[in-house]
Amino acid sequence: MTHTLHRVGNPESLSRDYILLFMPSKDINHVGSGPKLRKMLEISLKNGAIRIGDCRLGNEYHQGGLDKLLEHVEDRAVVHAVFNDLEKMTAALKELKSADLGLSVVVSGLFDKVRDCCKKAGLTPHTVNNTLGRWGRTDRLPPQDILELNTMCGHGMVTVRLIEDIAAKVKNREITPEQGAERLFKPCMCGIFNADRAAGLLDAMARK
Amino acid sequence: MRIDPEKCIACGQCEVYCPIGAITIGDECAEIDFDECTECYNCLRMADCPTEAIYQQKLEWPRTVRSVLSDVLTIAPESGISGRGTEEMKTNEVTGRFKHGWAGIGIEVGRPVLGARFYDVEKIAMAMAKLGVEFESSNPTTSLMSDVKTGKFKDDVLNEKVLSAIIEFSVPVETLDQVFAGLKQVSRQIETVFSLCVASRIAPDGSIPTHSIMRQNGVWFAPNGKTNVGLGRPLTKEDSI
Repeated sequence: MTHTLHRVGNPESLSRDYILLFMPSKDINHVGSGPKLRKMLEISLKNGAIRIGDCRLGNEYHQGGLDKLLEHVEDRAVVHAVFNDLEKMTAALKELKSADLGLSVVVSGLFDKVRDCCKKAGLTPHTVNNTLGRWGRTDRLPPQDILELNTMCGHGMVTVRLIEDIAAKVKNREITPEQGAERLFKPCMCGIFNADRAAGLLDAMARK
Repeated sequence: MRIDPEKCIACGQCEVYCPIGAITIGDECAEIDFDECTECYNCLRMADCPTEAIYQQKLEWPRTVRSVLSDVLTIAPESGISGRGTEEMKTNEVTGRFKHGWAGIGIEVGRPVLGARFYDVEKIAMAMAKLGVEFESSNPTTSLMSDVKTGKFKDDVLNEKVLSAIIEFSVPVETLDQVFAGLKQVSRQIETVFSLCVASRIAPDGSIPTHSIMRQNGVWFAPNGKTNVGLGRPLTKEDSI
């Protein structure tokens, strides 16, 4: 499962796109992990996460609200928090370290920025996962601006046709970029689609 | 997934939610290309069909494979978690799956956008199997192989289409150049795309041993990716010493 990896974009666009992923490990520390995962989400929200999500049961829309999402977190869930601000994410990492909940935390984002955040939070990064891009019939893929939006949902639920439809509505001023981004967020069941970044991308597409 | 032609009013609300463009809107009703449909559930979940014309037909083997590897909310029995992969490097500080000197490889076939048939997944797996790799046993894609030594898949899944399937294994870092060479070659023989990732322990001096090998092989890697910050407990034996 590499759903927070492979996000396409230039460093400027990616500089407001960070995801914290919280996960127990099967048969090692998963028993009783549900309340700890919930606590990690609460720490993230307190420190300014713009979105939280749950891979196992779906995003806040699917579950009927943030309260229900938090209430339903199970042992063995994989949950996330999206940040658009490095200082806020660093503060969350510091508090997560202090809370010492014993579950794994993975940060997705620009490596050099994440390294700095870890240093400030007193964390020593353990393992990295690099994306080496797309191989094979890349000639069949849509343009870069579509891919930047599509790859923010690693499971591909934010479809090319939906993006084209929303981008056209934004361009025609039927909806704002923010409203368009929110519509794009909804199919992303894990809740890792960064609607804040998406609004900027839709706005840029509309100006072309 | 199916659309009931008696109920459908061809409003078109479902069309944009199909990730592989398998829904077409006719004059009187919408239609799903059943051979292309990956059973991802996105149309049923998101289209808010005004006549409830979209429905999930009974899924039977081998079509069940499509749901496991395409619907994010389906739990894979092999991994016990939702999604198409495994814990991979995300819990590496407690599992020790990827040790110093080793690289974890994830080849996600069909991602992004295009989806994949298993005959293409098999081509890549067989190319990697020739290098003597051992495929990750907890991965749902591995469980569809008829021979994990050769990377051959069960014949009845070969034409199944999924949003993506992840081929996962580990290799000593010094053999990464062979992996890249094999992938460059097989990437010219498939109809789809794959997204490639390489996981690695960070060396005690802070360096990442796989980076120099990727550069030497002319393999591009992005400035963004995933970092496990080491907060899981108990630590694996390698880190407890």
